[in-house]
Amino acid sequence: MPLKTRLRLPALVLIALFVVVVAAAAVLGSKSAQAQAEQPIAFNHSVHVEELGVPCLYCHSNAQRGQSAGLPTLEKCQGCHSQIDPGDSQALQDLARYAEENKPIQWVPVALQPDFVYFSHRPHVNAGLNCESCHGDVGQMTVAEPQGDMNMGWCLSCHKKLAPERFVKLSDCATCHK
Amino acid sequence: MSETAQEKWGMVIDLDRCNGCQACVTACSLENNVGFVGEESAAYGRGMHWIRIQRYWEGEYPNITARFRPVMCQQCGHAPCEPVCPVFATYHSEAEQINVQVYNRCIGTRYCANNCPYVARTFNWFDWEWPEPLNEQLNPDVTVRRRGIMEKCTFCIQRIRKGEEDAEAEGREVADGEIQPACAQACPADAIVFGNLADPESRVSRLARSARAEKLLEELGTETKVIYLKGGSSRDR
Repeated sequence: MPLKTRLRLPALVLIALFVVVVAAAAVLGSKSAQAQAEQPIAFNHSVHVEELGVPCLYCHSNAQRGQSAGLPTLEKCQGCHSQIDPGDSQALQDLARYAEENKPIQWVPVALQPDFVYFSHRPHVNAGLNCESCHGDVGQMTVAEPQGDMNMGWCLSCHKKLAPERFVKLSDCATCHK
Repeated sequence: MSETAQEKWGMVIDLDRCNGCQACVTACSLENNVGFVGEESAAYGRGMHWIRIQRYWEGEYPNITARFRPVMCQQCGHAPCEPVCPVFATYHSEAEQINVQVYNRCIGTRYCANNCPYVARTFNWFDWEWPEPLNEQLNPDVTVRRRGIMEKCTFCIQRIRKGEEDAEAEGREVADGEIQPACAQACPADAIVFGNLADPESRVSRLARSARAEKLLEELGTETKVIYLKGGSSRDR
């Protein structure tokens, strides 16, 4: 085997390996941005929303008023839970411990946008969108799960359907990119 | 590019009021997370200002006066920077009628800056670090740009967006003077006025009709949205 070919083979293998590793990292990276988060308390959405009928906006009340929907404070939880016996439920005992230590609960946001994207809940809620349209049927979930990729194509798929008369504004880069 | 430049947001700068204090430059940098490159990098031509104060001398010594002109992106209706961008990172916003830069799309060819007659664009040569607690000063409504992309004045698009959203949530039109870019807000002499040029009754429209009005390099046909007011020498008043 001539010297050139002998050198070329391992080099090709190395390049192929490199491409595979980069591709894998890209795929995993994009997935992990929307990964299922480990929450400080295993909060059960289905019990609160489906069984007890608590509206989303009771806990995520800023969705009507601001950019971020907000995550409930310890006081909000305790508004009801100070009256409820934790029993042998792990989640309720965890909550009671937070209340005892008067420590804020560090909820982990599930649906996040990258830094170069501006998103505000207010215009979406005011336009009459249901929370489920983007966040899935959270009432059927225990811990909230991320929904799909929430990427630009996904945003535009609604923007062009829901409000064709406002498409100039809703398709403008500057509306969402800051 | 459209056949006729439509008008929406515009700015009037009264040069007879400007005293060159640079408050607008500071306010702009803080509002838009623009880094401070320092003396050495500035000497290499890597300075980063979205707005600069040009200084002129008027008269002969000893009767000499300094005159100042704040210059930022002129938000051209027919912008020379737009058609040269190979990736459409700079484009004309149809909704806002201003020239917008999409940072996450820019690949840093710098064609736009080379084609800008106002030298209004700055190239970001650095990855910025904002060690704790300085990161707290960053404006969350503006991207912290990375190295290798072009940036420029956006008429504080984040403030326009917020003003329009507030008005829409309250079911009303944006009031005149409700939206102010950081430079206009910071100007102690009230030399910078921002508003809607499409509304003939807005403060900016009334000032733009002044006999003192002039535009930079108007002969290029760039249809700029920044109008300067300038009348005689400051000694005449």
